[in-house]
Amino acid sequence: MTAAPMTTGARIEVRDLTKTFGSFTAVDQLSFHVEPGRITGFLGPNGAGKTTTLRMLLGLIHPTSGSATIDGQNYRDLDHPSSVVGSALEATNFHPGRTGRDHLRVLAAAGGLRDSRVDELLELTGIPAAARKRAGEYSMGMRQRLGLAAALLGDPRVLILDEPANGLDPEGIRWLRGFLRHLSNEGKTILVSSHLLQEVEATVDDVVIIANGRMVKSGAMSDLHGSPSTIVRTSNPDQLAGALRVADVMSSPGTDGELIAETTDKRLVGDVALRAGLPIWELRDRKADLEALFFELTEGTNRNLGDGASPVESDAISGLEGANE
Amino acid sequence: MGSAIKSEFRKFFTTRLWWGMAIGIFVAGAVFAGFFGWALTSENGNTGGGPQLEGTATQVVNSVYTAGLGVGYLLLLTVGIMQIGSEYRHKTITATLLSTPKRVQAMLAKIIALLGIGGVYGLISLLGSVSVGAIVLTLRDIDPFPSTEVLRTLALSLLALGLWALIGLGVGILIPNQVAAILVGVGVAWIIEPLLSFGLAFVEWAAKIVPYFPSNATNSMVSGVTAQGQDVDFLPWWGGALVLGAYAVALSVFGTWRTSRQDIS
Ligand SMILES: Nc1ncnc2c1ncn2[C@@H]1O[C@H](COP(=O)(O)OP(=O)(O)O)[C@@H](O)[C@H]1O
Ligand SMILES: [Mg+2]
Repeated sequence: MTAAPMTTGARIEVRDLTKTFGSFTAVDQLSFHVEPGRITGFLGPNGAGKTTTLRMLLGLIHPTSGSATIDGQNYRDLDHPSSVVGSALEATNFHPGRTGRDHLRVLAAAGGLRDSRVDELLELTGIPAAARKRAGEYSMGMRQRLGLAAALLGDPRVLILDEPANGLDPEGIRWLRGFLRHLSNEGKTILVSSHLLQEVEATVDDVVIIANGRMVKSGAMSDLHGSPSTIVRTSNPDQLAGALRVADVMSSPGTDGELIAETTDKRLVGDVALRAGLPIWELRDRKADLEALFFELTEGTNRNLGDGASPVESDAISGLEGANE
Repeated sequence: MGSAIKSEFRKFFTTRLWWGMAIGIFVAGAVFAGFFGWALTSENGNTGGGPQLEGTATQVVNSVYTAGLGVGYLLLLTVGIMQIGSEYRHKTITATLLSTPKRVQAMLAKIIALLGIGGVYGLISLLGSVSVGAIVLTLRDIDPFPSTEVLRTLALSLLALGLWALIGLGVGILIPNQVAAILVGVGVAWIIEPLLSFGLAFVEWAAKIVPYFPSNATNSMVSGVTAQGQDVDFLPWWGGALVLGAYAVALSVFGTWRTSRQDIS
């Protein structure tokens, strides 16, 4: 894309969205919003309801109740959907007997777009030669790139990608990261789902985390990482906690005899411990709130998931209080 | 709307299915026209013990040119099923409804495209049947174009193929498994329906509904020769067209309604 024009993204608003399949509630009173010019990660373990939510947003699944809108409009009411929202839902959505290029030509026709856009996008996603083969022969990475090309055909203001990193090799993930950053700098709204935090953590600005169809946490990545703190291990955590309090550093007990000090000043913690005559066994940054939260969700315990309104309370994520929007 | 229709045509013409079908329908048209052209004009062609066939010169010619229609409409039925069935099967329905989210519009595009595709295949079929049929008839010293009614028949055979494609569309939505839909659709139209027609023709009250079966309605449309000795009054050409049209409308309206309510997951 040479001299890409500044596009203004649109705001995605999901309100009280609910979907039941029979007696099973796949998405439960979900509310969140996604802002233009930012990359938002939509996270949750497998079966959390991410795909169902995105499909409701895209008018493919009828919500049981609630709404999901793009700039205040339902996707189905958009006159030129492919130039407003581009999306890639599953990596398997191609006819195996049709070439990738023809797949895009079919979509270009439906969107009323120039055919030359097809070759531009194949160039941009790095698959111009491979796209002349039938899609049945494609690797997962190739499918992902073709899906991305399809999503971008209409130069949309909003990009919605469901598990785009699935099946990409590390090099592909790096490429995707740079690509999304580039698009977001153009002002587009980008929503990317993933069941793996590590996949998107370095890419996204905001996160929305769901589990069992319900909101768990949402906000800016920088906030959710928790207030930066330090983990220290010593022979007597209580005594060190007292000494730290004198030095105006609050602390709380972590797991396994750790003490979590609410400061990033490791030198201060070390000095206080020395003055208190306590040995330091371990001293390191703590930034893993989100990982801990995610770990807890994906390990299937899900024990403290209250209703969507109240933040999750557990030792591992105690640093998150107040970070909820 | 125009762009959605264009997209449907591209969908159809970018897989290998279309020219396989084209060859099939051309060959069927040519071979059947050749065979019927020879058989219907043989003085002793009916000594094989089959029912005696009767018809005017125009009806004979109509029969020759549309002899391959039976194969043709089965192929178009299959085309119609696959235009939606392969979308379910390969999940391309998601991409289709993302680019045309107004579902009634998306289905209308399919309907119009299928009528067009039916017409295109009809022309391919006629290319085979009229050329071969006219040659055979001429060799037999029979006027290959005895009346303008023949043109009406040729035009109606195009329409019939389009309508059968729409019936396929409805069947494909009713039975989302593409393979099952083709088996059921073709099985009913090709085997069950003729058997029923044959069996019911001997039952007085039931014989009245036999002409309304889709295959029989199709045959009335093209006004060919009829088999003697059956107590069935076939419909006039316009009656056949209306009946087949009613099937097509009912099934495509049903398909559109069903699709507009579906969750695509
Ligand atoms: N059409 C459907 N019918 C019944 N259950 C469904 C359907 N689609 C999804 N589900 C269920 O809803 C839950 C959420 O699924 P999904 O949205 O695909 O989760 P995710 O994308 O986060 O992995 C899963 O338990 C899944 O089995
Ligand atoms: Mg999913």
